[in-house]
Amino acid sequence: MKAVFRASALVLVITLAACGSDPAPEPTEQIVVREPGADASEASDTTAPEPAGEATASLVAAGKSAFNTCIACHVLEKGGANRIGPNLYGIIGQAAGSADGFKYSDAMASSGITWTKEELDSYLANPAAKVPGTTMMAGAISDAGQREAIIAYIEDASAN
Amino acid sequence: MGKWTRRAFIGAGVAAGGALVVGIAVRPGNPIDRLSPLVAKGKGEQLINAWVKIDADNIVTAIVPHVEMGQGIFTSLAQMLADELDADWSKVRILEAPADDKYVSHDIVREFAAPNLEVPAILEPTASGSFLSLATVMTLQITGGSFSIRGTGQRAMRTAGAAAREMLVAAAAKEWNVRAAELRTENSMVLHDKSSKSATFASFATAAAEQSLPAKPKLKSPKDYKLMGKPIARTDIPEKTDGSAIFGIDADLPGMKYAAVKAPPVVGAAVETMDATTAKTMPGVLQILNMGDFVAVVADGYWQAEQALATIDTTYSKTDGDGLDQDALFARYAKMLDEAGDSDGDVEAEEGDVGEAFANAATKVEAEYKVPFLAHATMEPMNCTAWVREGKCDVWSGTQMPLMARKAAAETSGIDYDNVTYHNAYLGGGFGRRAEMDMIIMATRIAKATQYPVKMIWSREEDTMQDHYRPSATSRFQGGLDKDGKAVSWSNIHTHLFDPQEAPTVPYYNIANHKIRKIDVPTHLRFGPWRSVDHSQHGFFIESFVDEMAQAAGKDGYAFRRELLAGSPRHLKVLDTAAKMSGWDKPLPEGHGRGIAFVPSFGTIIAEVAEVDMTGKKPKVKKIFVAADPGFAVNPDGFAAQMESSIAYGLTATLFGEISVKDGAVQQSNFHDYPILRINEMPDVAVEIINGDHKRLGGAGEPGLPPLAPAVTNAIFAATGKRVRELPLSKVDFA
Ligand code: HEC
Repeated sequence: MKAVFRASALVLVITLAACGSDPAPEPTEQIVVREPGADASEASDTTAPEPAGEATASLVAAGKSAFNTCIACHVLEKGGANRIGPNLYGIIGQAAGSADGFKYSDAMASSGITWTKEELDSYLANPAAKVPGTTMMAGAISDAGQREAIIAYIEDASAN
Repeated sequence: MGKWTRRAFIGAGVAAGGALVVGIAVRPGNPIDRLSPLVAKGKGEQLINAWVKIDADNIVTAIVPHVEMGQGIFTSLAQMLADELDADWSKVRILEAPADDKYVSHDIVREFAAPNLEVPAILEPTASGSFLSLATVMTLQITGGSFSIRGTGQRAMRTAGAAAREMLVAAAAKEWNVRAAELRTENSMVLHDKSSKSATFASFATAAAEQSLPAKPKLKSPKDYKLMGKPIARTDIPEKTDGSAIFGIDADLPGMKYAAVKAPPVVGAAVETMDATTAKTMPGVLQILNMGDFVAVVADGYWQAEQALATIDTTYSKTDGDGLDQDALFARYAKMLDEAGDSDGDVEAEEGDVGEAFANAATKVEAEYKVPFLAHATMEPMNCTAWVREGKCDVWSGTQMPLMARKAAAETSGIDYDNVTYHNAYLGGGFGRRAEMDMIIMATRIAKATQYPVKMIWSREEDTMQDHYRPSATSRFQGGLDKDGKAVSWSNIHTHLFDPQEAPTVPYYNIANHKIRKIDVPTHLRFGPWRSVDHSQHGFFIESFVDEMAQAAGKDGYAFRRELLAGSPRHLKVLDTAAKMSGWDKPLPEGHGRGIAFVPSFGTIIAEVAEVDMTGKKPKVKKIFVAADPGFAVNPDGFAAQMESSIAYGLTATLFGEISVKDGAVQQSNFHDYPILRINEMPDVAVEIINGDHKRLGGAGEPGLPPLAPAVTNAIFAATGKRVRELPLSKVDFA
């Protein structure tokens, strides 16, 4: 039987893809409304609807109860006293190791961290990995959602 | 064996978390030194060769270079390896090979695809050779072409298991100071009956890794199979049942944001303007991107991203595809087929002189068939998560081509290939759709722009409207019969050829004169492989026309095919089995009909008989009988499941699968207008497996599909006398 075939279409497609014939264009227009972690109320437009909608409220509520694992060591109120751990009021945006009158570990004091939400998230996920030598021996939260909630609660409580 | 050197890999080993190749003298040819840091990082684990590791608890892990998309391949490939190794199945684990070139470099494939094995160099000698060569599939880590078992399994997994077994035996022989021939293996143990000594594989793992790779490991003959040929339960079932299985869409990382995307409805158009006034003010929105060929909204949550995306007004550039409707497209096919006449177009197969044979034929039969575009409609929509930051890129998805995905991510992000990691998860359906790279490239582009991790998920609408479709196609036939009703000529011309190349051909049918041609018709929609690829349409075309010729010859469809297959006992056995299963000769109630179809594809020979009830307004497919010869079914239960799922997928297309274009855009968008077969529409399926040749295996994932549509439409003809020449059946008025 005489058979005339061209190269396999599938293989052809693959080879083309592998050659990278398709360069990856950058966006022709990029509107950055907000950086992640930045306060949602900073959204560029003044007509922005209330950002702390129902979803945020329930997140804060969840955070408040999850924060129970922290209260043995931390208070979260303006001018509140340090306990085993420092007062966490207004911690978001603050440099690590800056609560008045608290004796931090050298590791924390010299960490150079500024507590953005992301930084808080990774610290709470694994404090010892984030700041090797930290004296915070408990409080690691493995669940990402729970961390998000706690951070939302800290933010909310600090705004009052 | 020449001199070999003791290699020190302490540096690499420690860097990789204490990999256990440290201190082991690996013989040249065994790549485990390079691979251990990738796959054998655990404590007490020893890689024996590229595809087998054994840990201190005597757990054997089979490393498989294919992805799991519901086809059960992890289990079957592990079964093949474990059987040759004489491993205890309850202690076998499975690991997907990482998307790393080291894992699929040519030397590894060569090592385990030694040509001296008892399988032919070309897996399924068809008119054109194999669908894809083993080297291509394995070096590119492709899962497709119904290839994994007949290619990788038969030639690499079994060899790797047998080689590991021989290495363990050699190590034990040395340690016990006995001849290797006196040892046997069973349930992950090495036994020396004479001295009643026995020990676990694990106790020889390190010493085994120091043995040279056997050049020709001896494979078992079927009588010695312990796991192959058994309906072993799939290992991925429990996690898929309790919901713990991780799919690409489950990727989750700290700080991850979500992207919703929308591409121009007419493929090939550019996004000219984008008005995001409202979207900018919406909750959760972080970024709005005009990527040129699509718009993306990045937000804290997916719902927020989708809601904002819906408010964006866009204008698109004009394209040549803009005015095109489906009818015009079929008219374009017809015009080009007319122009090709009797001689133009690309000849795909030719024998004898069809022109003369047809001119002299006692009876002439002519017919034209049409099929629509088809979408894949995987249950898990297209998605990909990417994170591009200083000099590094990580990508998570479920793809049929992990290595290609890594390459695509590297090229797209502009980041050095070595610093790009691709993480593959289970695929929530593949069917060929996940052999494309568009989702990988799009997500990487978005993540490159944001510089933080983003999970892009396509809506069902995007998934339906921006697919790479099975082409719509037209096929024309002329067939000649002599005065005894014997087929003497077969000529066919059709639109498009994608893959496999032999799909339009009929080398298994005895027709002295045949000529098969194709023409390429430009369309703006993208084509992609769709379960069984070109066989999906050619199965329908060819087997409908065979039935029409049978009718013209005054013969029964089964009897006519028996004549065409005379002299091919293996083919005949499959056809006869399907007919017998269905009770072909037994009468059916009024308004019911039986149809038969026969399509060998992907190395597996299949005949199906459909039983259809035409007494209602719409066809009701009651039963499908499948007779299949895949050479040898490694996991008969898995094989039967692939037949059943091919029937569910194929019947979806036969009854209502249709993607059509209007003004250049795809008209269907979701399951309301692109329905999927429901459970009450699923026929009873009976599968009989014939193990016709254990040395040459066929595929399972695709070959069950091509005979389905023609078996159904031939049954409709038997019941009603109405010949269906265009799919889907929802377009046909049976009143
Ligand atoms: C067992 C007591 C303990 C618990 C429980 C605990 N922490 Fe701490 N935390 C500390 C101590 C001690 C430090 C100071 C660490 C250092 O100096 O290294 C600290 C420091 C911190 C800091 C850094 C403060 C700064 O000013 O730099 C944050 C943020 C923090 N904790 C959050 C939490 C949260 C949220 C929880 C609950 C999920 C929690 N901690 C639970 C003891 C605790």
